[in-house]
Amino acid sequence: MEYVNPEGLRLDGRRPLEMRQLRAEIGVVARADGSAVFEMGNTKVIAAIYGPREVQNKSQQINDQAVVRCEYSMANFSTGDRMRKPKHDRRSTEISLVIRQTMEACILTHLMPRSQIDIFVQVLQADGGTRSACINAATLALADAGIPMRDLVTSCAAGYLNTTPLLDLSYVEDSAGGPDVTVGILPKLDKVTLLQMDAKLPLDTFETVMQLAIEGCKAVANYIREILLENTKQLEFRRGV
Amino acid sequence: MAAASGSDLSSEMEVDAFRRLFPLNFHERHLLKSIRPDGRTLGKARDTIISLGAVTSANGSALTKIGCTTMLAAIKLEVMTPTVESPDEGCIAIDFHMPPICSPIVRPGRPAEAAPVVAKQLSDTILSGKAAWMAYLDIYCLDADGSLFDAALLSAVAAFSHLQIPVVSLNDEGRIVLISEDNGGGKLEKEPVNKEKRKLKLATIPFSLTCILHKNYILADPTAEEESIMETLVTVVLDSSSQLVSLYKPGGPVLAQTSAIQDCVSLTRQRLKELQKILNEAISDMEVD
Repeated sequence: MEYVNPEGLRLDGRRPLEMRQLRAEIGVVARADGSAVFEMGNTKVIAAIYGPREVQNKSQQINDQAVVRCEYSMANFSTGDRMRKPKHDRRSTEISLVIRQTMEACILTHLMPRSQIDIFVQVLQADGGTRSACINAATLALADAGIPMRDLVTSCAAGYLNTTPLLDLSYVEDSAGGPDVTVGILPKLDKVTLLQMDAKLPLDTFETVMQLAIEGCKAVANYIREILLENTKQLEFRRGV
Repeated sequence: MAAASGSDLSSEMEVDAFRRLFPLNFHERHLLKSIRPDGRTLGKARDTIISLGAVTSANGSALTKIGCTTMLAAIKLEVMTPTVESPDEGCIAIDFHMPPICSPIVRPGRPAEAAPVVAKQLSDTILSGKAAWMAYLDIYCLDADGSLFDAALLSAVAAFSHLQIPVVSLNDEGRIVLISEDNGGGKLEKEPVNKEKRKLKLATIPFSLTCILHKNYILADPTAEEESIMETLVTVVLDSSSQLVSLYKPGGPVLAQTSAIQDCVSLTRQRLKELQKILNEAISDMEVD
């Protein structure tokens, strides 16, 4: 099947190095300490942060840092066919772990000892790249909650089909069986915190694809910074500064 | 004693602290003036917004907000073989979820107490339609700020109003196949069973209002804070011809006289008109698009 047609356009009309349209909004869940909606094309996720708050399970309390918990779940109607078991299947557990470890690396947990930070991510519409959208949404929500972090964490995925590196795969392209490289970086510090790949790829092609994903992450970081600045201006305006 | 100490300290304390430490006192002081902390009168409900078609991958969907309480309902249709007893009827499966994002008191691994209660109430209220379709209705609470049943029922009703039954045809093996829109334009091998997507015809539409009874006050559409302090809830469900569908009062410290219940029903009747107007506006906005 042709994923990149001879004119160089993909199935949804994008160029190989083009990301899908990004859209984000902060403060969508009134009762959460921080929350955000993040859309990458048709993939739509909502993240809510509760914390720092008292540890619910005293045996898990750590005396010199905060405990970070994460739960990833998909809505029953988020994929094409209705999902039967949206929460505790293997994929959701794996992605919860991945998101938790990625975010834990950048939160300054030693500033909040004996407390707990809960990251809940809910996928409302899934069209490929849910892992990346969840990490981006979690970053925004953590910023909204005012939790101290080393840097933003942004994430993007890239693949390789029809001998072309492609940025930000949609569901159809992802299920084509080609490699899918997901990268999460701290943009200002220029450090990689998440790197996952499935399927096989020769090393030099891998370098190209990973660089492409990193470029995508930086573009997401710029967008997130704009959103956060806009939000701060709104807050200033409302305070009458 | 608590009330006395509350009033002694109140002159020295900030409003937020007083609200947290003596919540009942705080609310009662407002009720004496016939007003509530967010500025509403006792019988007034919060601003309600309905947005149809929020989830593009579902056959019908709606996002409703009553104040801050947010519910997302989506319907997915699957073809099923009807039962022998009722070969003319399809069925509806309702699932109500409260994911941990909606409220600080919901923990992962421990579903909220309210969730199965609301799910059962919804099943009792919504009746099945007429086709050999299985409709899976999933309602997700995205923000829990009181009146969960009202918001859930409204989003379910709105999702059904938005629902469009897709075009199907029988293929060679006698199985029903969905015709997707991509190859609908060209020549079709088999004639479709129904010519075009059709909307579901709803017989009567139920609307509800939850009220809280406290001493001799009746508060309509409570927030989560009010619900946690004053625990006696009464939920009245009326259909579009003002007939009573369901009345639900699950115990609670306040025992209600019949006059109180009748007041709740008349408040619901007023709310019914508001909700019908909002729903019709949402439907006509969508049809314009």
